[in-house]
Amino acid sequence: MSGLPLTSDRRDFLKSAAATGTVGATVGATVGAIGEIASSDAAPALAQPAVRPETKVTKNICHQCPARCGIDVYTTDGKVHAIYGSLDDPIANGKLCPKGHLGAYVLYDPDRFVGPMKRTNPRKGRDVDPGWQRISWDEALGIAAARLNALRAKGEQHRLAIVAGRGWGSTDAGLTDNFGKLFGTPNASLGHSSMCADASKRAKHLMDGNYSYNSYDYRNTNYLLNFGAAFLEAYRPYNNNLQVWGHIRTKAPKTKVTVVDVRVTPTGAAADRLLLIKPGTDGAMALAVAHEILINGWWERKFVGDFTDGVNRFKSGETLDAASFAERWTKGLIEWWNAELKDRTPEWAATITTIPAKDIRAVARELGTTRPAMVIFERGPTTHTNAIYNGMAIHALNAFVGAMYAVGGMASQMGVPYGALPWKADDYVDDAAKAAADRKMERIDRVKSADGPLWSNNIQGIPDSHLSGRPYKLDTAIFYSTNPIFSTPDCTRWEKALQDIFVIETSPFPSETAVFADLILPDHTYLERWQDAPTYPFEGYPITSLRVPAVKPIHDTKHFGDTLIELGKRIEGRMGEYYRQVGNIENVLRAIAKGFEKNPGDNGVNSLESWAAKGVWYKKPYFWRQIGGEFFEWDGSDYRKPMSAEEVKRRLLRTDSGKFEFRSSYLERYADFVNAKLGVAKERVGFPQWLAPRYAGKGDLFLVTPKTPLHAEGRSANIPQAISIYQPVSGGRNEMFLEIHPRTAAARRIKNGEQVRVATDIGGITVRAHLTPAARPDTVVLPFGFGHWAHGRWAKGRGQNPTEIIPNISDPISNLTSNYSVLVTVERVANQA
Amino acid sequence: MTRWGMVIDLEKCTGCQACTTACQMENARLPGEMWQDVLFYSEGEYPSGKLSWLPRPCMHCENPSCVAVCPTRATYKTEDGVVLIDWERCIGCKYCMIACPYGVRFYAEEKQKTQPDIRKVFPAKGDKVWDPPYKMPEHMQNPKWGVGIQPKNVVSKCTFCYHRVSQAPKGTVDLNPDDPKLRPYTPACVVTCAPSARYFGDLDNPSSEVRQLIATKRGTRLLDQTGNRPQVYYLAGEAPAIPETRSVRSGRKA
Repeated sequence: MSGLPLTSDRRDFLKSAAATGTVGATVGATVGAIGEIASSDAAPALAQPAVRPETKVTKNICHQCPARCGIDVYTTDGKVHAIYGSLDDPIANGKLCPKGHLGAYVLYDPDRFVGPMKRTNPRKGRDVDPGWQRISWDEALGIAAARLNALRAKGEQHRLAIVAGRGWGSTDAGLTDNFGKLFGTPNASLGHSSMCADASKRAKHLMDGNYSYNSYDYRNTNYLLNFGAAFLEAYRPYNNNLQVWGHIRTKAPKTKVTVVDVRVTPTGAAADRLLLIKPGTDGAMALAVAHEILINGWWERKFVGDFTDGVNRFKSGETLDAASFAERWTKGLIEWWNAELKDRTPEWAATITTIPAKDIRAVARELGTTRPAMVIFERGPTTHTNAIYNGMAIHALNAFVGAMYAVGGMASQMGVPYGALPWKADDYVDDAAKAAADRKMERIDRVKSADGPLWSNNIQGIPDSHLSGRPYKLDTAIFYSTNPIFSTPDCTRWEKALQDIFVIETSPFPSETAVFADLILPDHTYLERWQDAPTYPFEGYPITSLRVPAVKPIHDTKHFGDTLIELGKRIEGRMGEYYRQVGNIENVLRAIAKGFEKNPGDNGVNSLESWAAKGVWYKKPYFWRQIGGEFFEWDGSDYRKPMSAEEVKRRLLRTDSGKFEFRSSYLERYADFVNAKLGVAKERVGFPQWLAPRYAGKGDLFLVTPKTPLHAEGRSANIPQAISIYQPVSGGRNEMFLEIHPRTAAARRIKNGEQVRVATDIGGITVRAHLTPAARPDTVVLPFGFGHWAHGRWAKGRGQNPTEIIPNISDPISNLTSNYSVLVTVERVANQA
Repeated sequence: MTRWGMVIDLEKCTGCQACTTACQMENARLPGEMWQDVLFYSEGEYPSGKLSWLPRPCMHCENPSCVAVCPTRATYKTEDGVVLIDWERCIGCKYCMIACPYGVRFYAEEKQKTQPDIRKVFPAKGDKVWDPPYKMPEHMQNPKWGVGIQPKNVVSKCTFCYHRVSQAPKGTVDLNPDDPKLRPYTPACVVTCAPSARYFGDLDNPSSEVRQLIATKRGTRLLDQTGNRPQVYYLAGEAPAIPETRSVRSGRKA
């Protein structure tokens, strides 16, 4: 059976395709139909058709990062041989980043799982052979369903967890909430955002009311201040960032860029100025920049407001009367100044950050006097225990320069007008599910517990919960597109925790999680499957893309969404009925695409068929804009419809006050909690402020563990073509190095290329040193992504995995893992290999 | 007559290496056989250390030293200005690799640097080096051009994607990848370059975009003193981005 079930709907869908005379079964015929459309673009006037008729071009979405670049997949004689960015797609614009071209290697990875399997060896361990036995899908789903039905019978549904990494849309991660509701577990949607971006999202939420990434208008900005976002290496949407770079660096006027980072990166090297800051101190620099902007009168008066008499009274060290200043779209400026900012001079910040005061002043002057300007940041400054206060101090600058919802600034992201699913999960909640809901079990990861009132996820805490039995022990865990046994801090904890959990791994690849799995239900790779994916915040206007299979699944694999639906069908009670109604993911796609009938995209997409042909639905423009301190809504031809303060509060600045809050009322609700966890005085909790990071470990060097540009969320680990490419700076070629300053190395008698031991309180790893004069002498750099002990023949045994020695510490407010809040020792290994 | 050439704007180039992977994919190259490599250079010390990079395809020289030394005339210059290798004539002597001042020629050595050896995973029947499932379709391969999967014991290098470029409509001046009609004939690295740092067109036509960029943005050729006269030009922007001679090449074995 092919990957797509041939339902009656499916036949209708294919009728037009079959009429074109294209051969092939289900997927082949569809591919043919789309190839027809694509190849019709070839101009007849040309000497030779560039793309021959036997080559089919299908639309898909790159899977190597979350950016969702639309791609054209070239298939000839049933084999995928090329992938290019789609010209139809507003994110890719026909371009790709280096990861985008790796897709065929992923598809034809010789180490992929070829079908469902069950474990026969009850013993589990890194080096223990699971004794895999190939079984049918029916048997595999039956085994899983039996466990789930048993949990239901015992009233222990909460002991089922679904742990998900990179989700895409309605056909995968979008299905888990209902699965949990109908089954009766609070653990069906355990995400990985606590090792991703929860701190930056939370910091912004506390000030502007939006718990999300921002959309950005980079193309129109003239100044970009970047705190630790790897804009030209790993920051989403990488491909589009590269396109933006080509534009902003050659437009008139050229956009000036300052990068604040802890190591020499391509982003920093390409920028006008790279300031190598002491890790974890970005907030101090941002506060000093804010201080300078105020005392020099460079703030955007139309957004922030002004002194009632128009005279600038900000003077270092002097408090002010709040009544002397009339704020416009912000709240708490003078209180913040008095409580924190008045003393945050560049000289003060220089002692914290090691950045000279003159450089801080220069940055402040450029940021303060250039418009449009904006300030971006992401995980770098927030992967420390002071994450939220670093993030708030940085984000506050966006209010100072009036970047919120402005041209050349940042905004939010509009949703996609999908059609509703015709099946209402609420109608299928049976007594077993109701009883489970009534038990009000805490989530296994303790999100929203007294320890984590502001957490969204806590993937890094799951092993501790299970091992301690607090709040309880898991029985069964399904893993989708995540490999926390390799990627979370202190990752080896999972090797203990997964001993007595029934583990179901759905990865197509032989991951580390799979080594501890009891059942393998392998997913298709992305070039073999249908899948929708609404964009992450990009330029604000709604976009959703579609994966169309380029080839029939080459192995006996199943779409994760269909695996979940098939599992649901096998659950006793009303839940099974629900999933029999849903049928398969194709019905889900058909239902959501209905929404396009009333809302055709700018490219004419108004159905599933046209969506598959174009690969993307989008509708410009973004609806709202701030112009000179006034907010306007799009009236059909321009931003001319004035918005009331109430509308701004409801739609854009969604805080209690409807203003950008320099004193966060939301965070002040948790004043006792923040005081207890971080020691911040209760009356100061709401202000962006300097809070020193806390470090784990008795070492004397900071350890930073960035991703290399080809990391591809781990999906390049087993691709020799990718491994062989040099990765700046410490990624090397075929291996990776510890980047260390020559003076730091000399003090430890370490020579270039020698083996060194990098250690924390929880362990050590041995890597090769690469003497790097441009590095900070107090910081060593070791890229994350190597050191696999599974995942295929090329991944296994190559380098070391730094997360094995990074203690599990998180920011108490957002719960983002504090991967960089660790101090390590580095010593020369006595016997050099 | 058309004489194809490339311009690379280093002010736009981000060193991302999409050109490297696009080339590798389009031409089904072996791991490490980087026809379109990007070299990284560093100099200086904290806090004023510097990192820079240089993308490096075959320069398709006007006066190619590789052609001069080839004992079997396997390496040749086409009428439209592209340097190619005829794999049916190449004897794998590697003289050309030594003669090339730019280090852009490759030979599939017995021991692959990236292990396990992928050639053993996707072994070829006959005399080809390997047979990956994602290889270029047969109709695009041409051993006379050095395009496709190579036989054993030959030298390989960037062909300016000759299987694409050679099919372009007669009289094409600029191969602009944003034009859907011309995109299929444009070299892979130019198609994918996200910051649009690459331009491809006719160096013999004074109104071509490449000629205009060379003129207005100070197009520079590498190692011009060798007399090879590359047909790949670099634009260094306001800040010279060509690595200084004092720079140390990164990525060599530590």
